[in-house]
Order: sequence, then C-alpha cells, then structure tokens
Amino acid sequence: MSNYQLGEFEEVVLLTVAILDADAYGVSIKQEMEGRLKRSVSTGAMQTALRRMENKGYLKSEFGESTAIRGGKRKRYFKITPYGVKALEYYKETRMSLWQAIPGTVLDLKS
Amino acid sequence: MEKQKIRYCPPDWAARWLLWFCHPDFAEDILGDLEEEYQSHEPAANKLMADFWFVRQVAGMMRPSLMRPFLPFLQLNNKMDMIKNYIKIGLRNLLKYRVGTGINLLGLSTGMAAFILIALFVKDELSYDRHHEHADEIFRVTIENFSGDGETLSRQWAFASAGHAKRLKQDFSQVTHAVRFFPWAFPDVIYGDKRLPGEQVVFADPEVFDVFTSPFLAGSASTAFANETSMVISEAAAIRIFGNDWREQDIIGKNVKIEAQGNAMSLAITGVMADMPRQQHFHFEYFVPFSIYENVVNNPQVTDNVSGNYNFLTYVRLADKDAAAAVEAGGPAFFDKHIGDIRGLPAHQYYGLVLQPLKDIHLTSNLSGEIENNGSLSQVVIFSVIGLLLIVVACINYMNLATSRYTRRMKEIGVRKSIGATKGSLIGQFVTESVLVTVISFPLAIGLAAMAMPYINDFMDKQLSINFLQDFSLFAGVVVLLALVALVAGLYPAIYLSSLDTISSLKGEATFRTGKVNFRSVLVTFQYVVTVGIIFSLAVVNAQMGYIFNSDPGFQKERILDVSLSRDIYAKKETFKNELLANGSIESATFVSRIPTGALLDNQGASIFLGDSLTPINFRLPYITVDEDFISTYGIEMVAGQNFEKYMDSDSIGYYIVNETAAKQLGFPQTQEAIAKNMAYGGVNGSIVGVVKDFHFESLHSPIGPMLIAKSDNYRRISIKLSSVNIQETISFIETTWASFDSKNPINYRFVDEAFENQYQSEERLSIMFKVFAVLAILISCLGMLGMVTFVVERKTKEIGIRKVLGAKSPHIMWLVSRGFLWLIGIACLVSLPIGYYLMSNWLSTFAYQISISPMLFLVPVLAVVLITWATILYRIVKAVYINPVKYLRSE
Repeated sequence: MSNYQLGEFEEVVLLTVAILDADAYGVSIKQEMEGRLKRSVSTGAMQTALRRMENKGYLKSEFGESTAIRGGKRKRYFKITPYGVKALEYYKETRMSLWQAIPGTVLDLKS
Repeated sequence: MEKQKIRYCPPDWAARWLLWFCHPDFAEDILGDLEEEYQSHEPAANKLMADFWFVRQVAGMMRPSLMRPFLPFLQLNNKMDMIKNYIKIGLRNLLKYRVGTGINLLGLSTGMAAFILIALFVKDELSYDRHHEHADEIFRVTIENFSGDGETLSRQWAFASAGHAKRLKQDFSQVTHAVRFFPWAFPDVIYGDKRLPGEQVVFADPEVFDVFTSPFLAGSASTAFANETSMVISEAAAIRIFGNDWREQDIIGKNVKIEAQGNAMSLAITGVMADMPRQQHFHFEYFVPFSIYENVVNNPQVTDNVSGNYNFLTYVRLADKDAAAAVEAGGPAFFDKHIGDIRGLPAHQYYGLVLQPLKDIHLTSNLSGEIENNGSLSQVVIFSVIGLLLIVVACINYMNLATSRYTRRMKEIGVRKSIGATKGSLIGQFVTESVLVTVISFPLAIGLAAMAMPYINDFMDKQLSINFLQDFSLFAGVVVLLALVALVAGLYPAIYLSSLDTISSLKGEATFRTGKVNFRSVLVTFQYVVTVGIIFSLAVVNAQMGYIFNSDPGFQKERILDVSLSRDIYAKKETFKNELLANGSIESATFVSRIPTGALLDNQGASIFLGDSLTPINFRLPYITVDEDFISTYGIEMVAGQNFEKYMDSDSIGYYIVNETAAKQLGFPQTQEAIAKNMAYGGVNGSIVGVVKDFHFESLHSPIGPMLIAKSDNYRRISIKLSSVNIQETISFIETTWASFDSKNPINYRFVDEAFENQYQSEERLSIMFKVFAVLAILISCLGMLGMVTFVVERKTKEIGIRKVLGAKSPHIMWLVSRGFLWLIGIACLVSLPIGYYLMSNWLSTFAYQISISPMLFLVPVLAVVLITWATILYRIVKAVYINPVKYLRSE
C-alpha cells in the first residue's frame, strides 16, 4: 500500500499546478483546468483540494502581488514540493504498470 | 496579461459573509480570486447575473476544510456521526409523539408567522422617507395657529402659506433650499386625442430636486425646470400618457396640454422620474413650475401671502440638521416682521413656526390637512411588543411541552448516561431536537404568513411581500430568528433533562421536588401575564368602542343621507330641495357647509358687544353655516332663543346660534342672556338668535368646544332625512332627481352614521388587531397549558391513584391539580393587570369622553383564563380520574 493519498480530482489539480509552474494561483489554475479538461470546475472544490494538499505537504504556497481588479487582495501562488512530485510520479508509474498489464486483445476492443 | 476593466462591484454583504466564515488564512486570496473572476466572468452579462454568480461561488466555499473553526463540531469530524445519530433519534422521537410534535409545530409556526408579519409591517413603517439623500436635513414647515394669547393652540397645519418658503430662505442663513408644492390643481392632461381627466398636477418650486432625491429615467434633475413651460412626470404618468413603450418614443421635448376651467396651456416634457416609492409621505406624478400658478392666479394675496391660506406644502433643506432649533427660535421674530400686528397684538401671538424632521413625519405627524394618511408610532410600538411577546410565548410553549415529556424519556436518558453520555452530548441531542422542530415549523410559518399576507395588506393598506431574494436583511433576520428560537426553546429542556439523576431515572422515579418555585412555573406565569394582558386590553378597547358607538352625540345620525352639491345643483338648490321634499319618504332636508363628524373650520375675526364695548373673542370659535331646517333635521335641542327663520337670509346682517359652551365662554352663564346680543363674526355684524344644547360636532377624541352656527348661503352639501320605510327606493328617487338637475356629474352620497363611525377607523383597526392577537395568544398558551397539565398529571399519577383508593372524589382531584395553576394565575394577574391598567389608561386619555375602567373589565380576562385552564385540565385529567387506579399503582 502506498504512502501517497491523492484523489483523482486532487491529482488533476496537482498536475495543473505543476504545469503552470511559477504562475499557479486560484484563477489561473481554474482556467487552465477548464481549458484542458473541457469542463467547468467548482472553485470551492478546487480550493478545498489545494488546501488539503498543502496540509499533506504536496504543495507549498506564498502570497504574491495584489491588483486593483482583485479589490487589492494578494494572490496566493502555489508551488509543487519535491514530495508532491514524488507522489505524482508514483501515481504515473502505478497507472503505467496497470496499463502494461492489460492484454493486447482488450485494447483492440475500441474502434 | 491584458488590462481588465472594473465593471461592477460584487455585493458587499456576500464578501463580508465569506470573510466571516472562511478561515482567516485563506480568506484574502480566495476573495481576491473570486473578485478577479467576477470582473472577467463572461456569462455575467449584467450586474444581477454577475452578483448571482458571485453569491453562488461564495456559498460554494462553505466547506468544512475552508471554514474557520467556529463551532466545536465543525472542528471534529468524528462528531459528525454523533450528530447524524442525534438527528435520527430526534426524528424518531418527533414521529413517535405525533400529538406533542403537532402541538409544538402549530405553536411555533403560528408564533413565528405572526412575528414575521409584524416584523415586515414594522420594517415598512420605519423605512418612510429614508431614501432621500438629504433626508436628515429636510424639514417640513408647519404653522401653528394660536388664539391670540400665544399659548392656546387652536390648530397646527401641515401646510404653510405661499409666502413662507421664500422669506424663510431670505431670513435664515441656515435654510439653503426651500420648496413649495401646490397640489390642489386637478386639470385634465391632454396629449393628441388622449385626455386624462383630473390629474393631480403639482406646482413646485424649481429647487424641488435639490431637496428631494428622485432618480430620473429620462432627462435630468438639473434641466428639469429649464424654463417656464417645463413639466416633469413620473414613470406611471408617462405610461398613462404615452403608453407602455414610452421609452421608445423619445418623449423629452414633446408637448402636453393641461386644461382646467377653460384655461389651457401647452407644456414640454423635460424629464421622467422614477415613481415615488411607496414609503414616502406624499406621492406626486406631475411637477410643473410654480411660476405658472403665479401667472394664472395673478394675485400676490394668494401666491405670496404670509398668513392663512394654508395650501402650500413647504419643505426646507438646512445646512445641517441641528440648525432646526435655531430656525424655530426665530419664528416669532419672523412672523412679527412679515405680518406685523393683528388687532393690536403682535403676530407671534397668533402664529407659530414648527419644523418637522422629514423622517418623523410618517410616524409622528397627525396635523390638520396631512397630504396622505400617516402611520402611527404607538401602533408600531404596540405591534413590535406583541410580536416579541407572541414569539416568546411560543418558545415557552416548546419548553413546557419538551420538559413535560420527560417521564417518557427518562429511561432513555438513564441508559445513555450509564453507557457514557456526557451532559454536553445530551444537551447536544435535545438542542438538535429543538432545531429540527424549528426547521420544520419554519416553512409552515412562511406558508401561514404568506396566506395571511393578502388580508394584512388589505387591512393595513400596505403592499408587503415575503421575498428573500430581494431582501437579504429579511433573510438574515429570519435565519437569526430561527437560530434564536431553536436555542432559547431547546436549551432549557436540554439542561433540565440532562441533569436528571442517572440511577433514579433508570428506576423510573420522578426526582423533582414539588411545591418549590421553579423555572417552569415562572414560564407559565409569564404566559398567563401575556394572555391576561392581551385579553384585558381587548376588553377595554371593545368597551370604549361600544361606548362611542352607543353614546348619544346630541344629534340624530340615523337615516340621514349626506350629499355634496355640484355646481349645477347649487345654482338651483331651492328647487332641488323642494322637489325632494315632495316625496313622502323624505322627512326633511337641510343645506349645510359641513356635517357633524369632521373637524370644523376656524374663523378668527370674531368679536362681541359686552355692554357697549366691542370685545374681541380670544378663544377658538369655529363655525358651520346651515339653513333653517338644520336644527330640526338633526334633532338638536334648543335651550334658549329661537331657530333660524326663512327670512334671516342676508349677506350684510349675521344671524347666529351658538352652543352652550360658547354662550358660557362669551360670558353668559344663563344662556337666556346671550339672546339678542350683538356680535361680529367673519367681518359680518349680527346678533345671537338662539342657543343650542351642546352636541358632538367633532369626534369624541376632543371635548365639545364652543361653536357657532351661522345662517349664511355658503353651503356645500345637503343632508336628507329619510323615513324608516323604503330606504332603497327613496335613495333611487334621490338619484333620479339628481340626474334630472345635473346629468354630467354623478351623485356622491354617504350616510351620516357611517361617516360618524369612520372617525374611529384607526381604533376599529386596533380592536380587530387585538382580537387576532388575543386569539393567537390564547391558542398558543392553551397549547402550552396542555403540556403543563400533562406534566403535572403524569407526576401526580400515583398520588391520584392512592387518593382514589382512599376514597377521594373526582372534584377533589380536579381541585388538587388546578390548585397550583390558580396560584400562578393569581400571580400573573397581579403583574399583568396593573401594567395593562396603566397602558390602557394612557390609550383612553386620547379620548375626551372615555369609559372608566370598571371592575368588570378586570374580571373578564381573569375569568377567561381560569375557564380556559379548567377546560384544558378537564380534558387531560378525565383519563387519570376515570381509569382504574390499580393500573397506575401496579407499575412498581
């Protein structure tokens, strides 16, 4: 059993934070996810996932600049931690090994 | 990143809500994110949609992991299971005791419904005239009339004279703006072939929009009175004139004609203002420059005078709101300067200046000639207090019922405690139950309120509605109310039940000491206090109303029809009267200037010859003018002298009849002495021909003052006395006769006794409201009583059994149970009746003629409450008394 606990949604959020690298804050993460996944993302669910993953240590965050459009409130930039990267890698490898275990005939079923 | 524009501001309350519940570490950046997205969010086509989106997003943030830790059970997720269990057990208990639950739901929802309705009403009443930007600095100019001594107030007018506004602005530096309204013109408004008859076109000074805030839908306030032919209309008027699509018609600059008494004039629309909100003490739809009125009248005596002719609603805006006292203090000097001496006395002994704060007008002002009916502060206070009392009584009910079920729950509590339930968790469970009941009763309350709403609106002449989307404060208030009710109602039973002793509750023993003053008795007493108080007030209001309606006003008011005369009829009035009298069913008819129900008109220039010298009369002596049939038609008694004769009809010689009070105040204690004395009234010299017995010309709110009846051709109406048979036929005869004299104007009539009763409309309303409240209070406290009696009977089951075995009779047992309640009722009456007596004496003192509060009135509520209690006890106790005592006694 793995030491990493990551839900499916959390994994997607974590991946998106990794994609955005230095520009990952609430609005940009949401837009990036919506753009890539082609579905709407609930801000509440996303924020919950971010805070939980920060608690678990996959993410760290710091305050950034504030703009007028935000009513003068600062942004919070999220950054993936080495531990988070390890978790992602672990999930990717698990998936890959599962994929590889699928017999070729099954994959032919699509069409 | 592209530069984004700030389009709207998100709703402030939603942001504050987020900051309140969100964890402080997260709140800043989450709110920032939401605001950023709010500004750029594409589906948010308009502000309403964008706000809706924003609120939805904030609501979506209410997740435990994002919230601040403000409730213990939110901190501890493992408590969730326990809470689920509380809810499950709570629901089971509610279902198990259906009758008790039903009583609780009924009591709570009725109480809450009444409270919500009252809160809506009170909120509406308190919101009048608050929307004007300068509301605090706006004052209405009202004028006091004194009887020449500078003290005795004869009238305070809601209106001022035409010349006051301008002079106030000149004389007082604190007055920055002054505006007059002349609202008494009702010309036809004509546009194309469309004619709107008799619209209230108001002549106003151009400063009107600097004083009152009025949003413009077309045009603007600054150009509204650009020239002397401008006209500003409200949206409703625009729809009436131009139709629903007035916005598409570019109506600014279009010409509209107004026409009155043959004078027509063309005006150009310069602006359309939003309809005046309902919560304003006046509602006008057309504004035209005051200068038009000045030009048409062309008489400075009317349009620029400083005394009398109170037809101009006048408002001033002051530099700051504390300056009002200084302006009022300058009132005497103001009148002395502009009016000078009147009959040898300085003007300030006749006139006084009072500035009414705009915000207070609706609730506190009840002057002569208010432009619309105002509200009443005492009504608002009475309703608020009763609303609070009702909800408190409903909460007490819940407490009583919940604790009275304790015998059934004792074993459960014992078991829970012995397997480790803490006091806190038991409290949690009982509070959960009260929350459940409150939450379930809430939709019922809203439903009840919504059902009663149309009646309330009709009755109070309001347009209240329950709309949570538009009214966030209402929503928040209701949520707070729910929480408070659940907590107040639930906490006491929770603490009470959770403090039961474990072992004895397992044994099923009642562990409460009896005969001691406990909290529950206090609660029940309080309920009695409220019920007794409300029934007592109702009894007093009813008795006073009965007294008024049945008291002899000194004239006959039955079967007299009051018809106001049209111009055409007035020209042929004698023929009209004779034709009416030809009908055998009409006993008599008389021309009068007013009928005995309303306020009388003043005439200030009166004097009397005492001996040889002409003495001015320095008290208020109002008058009516009548013809020679008045005294007989109204059945008024003469005490001296004679009635008017037909020949007494001259403009140069006055013939006067005074009432007894007037005769006495004129200096004739023997009324006979007043006959043939010369007096001058309203500039006409004449003599007193008779004295009548005092009769109630005005309402019984005021004492009978001196009055004068003059024979002079200044009639506005005719009073027709009908015989008691065929009243309907006689009325249709009068209608046909009217039509044969005046085919253009419809007849306008009412019965004098109806008009008489209309004077007491607000008291009638109060009495009906008290009836409703009394029924609610009795209903709710009856339910509580039922719970309480159940409690006592259950506690005394064994005692009753043993007594029965030893030979006690049923009445004795009845006495045993009710004894305690009679004590409580006694205490409640001692508290309630003095308070009620004090409050109702205050109310009665608004009538000059009042009942004395008799012992009977005290007896009514006491008897009612005792009987209701006994009925409840009887209902509950029958079972305990008639069931074989063996059944109870065997349980151990």
